Amino acid sequence: MASRSSKLRGIKSLINIKTIIGGAVVFLLVWLIATMAMGSEQKTIFLPGVTSQGHFGFEANCSSCHEGFKKVSNENCSRCHEAELTEDKHGEKKFRDIRWAEDLEKLDALTCTTCHNEHVQMYGRGVHLQPDLCMACHQGIIEGEMTSHDGFTADGCWTAGCHNYHDHRSISTGFLYDNLDQPPMLPVQAVPEIVVEAQLETPPSPDLKSEFLGGGT
Amino acid sequence: MKKVLAIALSLTLSLTLSMGFCFLGNAPAQAQSMTEAEVSDITAQWKGSAHALADVNCSSCHQDSETKAFVGKPDNESCQSCHEAETDTFLLGKHGIRRLEGQSPLTPAKARLPMKAEAHGQQMNCNACHNVHSVDTYQASVDSCLTCHNDEHSLNYKNSKHSQLFLAEGNLARPSNASVTCATCHLPREASESGSNALVNHNNTYTLKPRDRMASDVCMNCHGMEYAFNSIFDNELVKSNFAQPPEMHLKSFDMVRVLQQKREGN
Repeated sequence: MASRSSKLRGIKSLINIKTIIGGAVVFLLVWLIATMAMGSEQKTIFLPGVTSQGHFGFEANCSSCHEGFKKVSNENCSRCHEAELTEDKHGEKKFRDIRWAEDLEKLDALTCTTCHNEHVQMYGRGVHLQPDLCMACHQGIIEGEMTSHDGFTADGCWTAGCHNYHDHRSISTGFLYDNLDQPPMLPVQAVPEIVVEAQLETPPSPDLKSEFLGGGT
Repeated sequence: MKKVLAIALSLTLSLTLSMGFCFLGNAPAQAQSMTEAEVSDITAQWKGSAHALADVNCSSCHQDSETKAFVGKPDNESCQSCHEAETDTFLLGKHGIRRLEGQSPLTPAKARLPMKAEAHGQQMNCNACHNVHSVDTYQASVDSCLTCHNDEHSLNYKNSKHSQLFLAEGNLARPSNASVTCATCHLPREASESGSNALVNHNNTYTLKPRDRMASDVCMNCHGMEYAFNSIFDNELVKSNFAQPPEMHLKSFDMVRVLQQKREGN
């Protein structure tokens, strides 16, 4: 009896508040370190918010975008988005021109993360700034500089589907102008052809067989 | 002593939890031994394929080029050794990006779009869509997509005029340049600058947004601009997989028409 009650007392004193807190802290620390070290999927516990539609698929891999705690660099974005930026209307070339260079003070347009932050509220196309962001430089367009645009709302430039910030190729006035009044079906309806040329007239003999029966790696 | 015990307990518990999570879902693919009948079936598929006539033999993919060791399940790298542009673009799209970033391949279970429940475990590799032995891109251009995709736009494809065009062609080795499949729009053929064979851009995300990219790069191969733009910007029409001609009329065209009249008037 005596030994049982002293055991109980031992267990009770083990479950005091300090031990619980200490244990919990150690538990969390070790769990975090182990999680980091293992590079596994549960790194999502570090995400500060919902990841955008385009990036959520690999959101557990912090190092895809982050190099330590440094700011996410343009170079990192262009690892994947080079094709989208081949004809960047608001790229470096634009702001090297003295007419537009000062506009960079209104909005740091040459830094991807100025408009494309991550893990925060988005307004479509991975843009986290309010949809009237174009007004930082183009306010005049809806206020008398361009009669056709008088009275247009400040947030409609891109959300209405009329303008793209980066790639103008297929939505610029010139493009629309050149292609007006085409018939619903063009005279020639075809996508580029793929031709596969055979190098042999007959298939060769298969050069492996028994290997497949044995499995392999 | 008690504290040490508590710390030891937390350590063990947290490590076990982390390890447990880590190994979940990361089990290595088991190699399978095949029967004679399976091997002859696959050999027959290969014999009728473009690979066989291009002298791409079993060992081209199933043998390590340096060590000559047998490779039961060749990975994307094997395909990449010949199909570099296709693999590189695949890795930039939503289907392949997880692999590019060193993670396990995407499975439909991870998608935000509706996917078929029975396909939830399917890993996105080259051979998830391509039968690599028959090299039949007819199947890869529609049926492969519909084994996973279960949203309205995808499911309505088979009732669309585009689908009728495709079905009218019969079963070819690959869709002709006049048929419209899922791949025609989402993995578009791009004429190469050098004038050689067209490239199939396997970045399935590229033509999705902005939508005018889809209109100009894909729709306008066959349709006039206004028809294309009025269709692609109509969410209901997209959902129905373009079941009827567009009824929407984008105001942009009226604005450009006013400009045109002004210029021509001058």
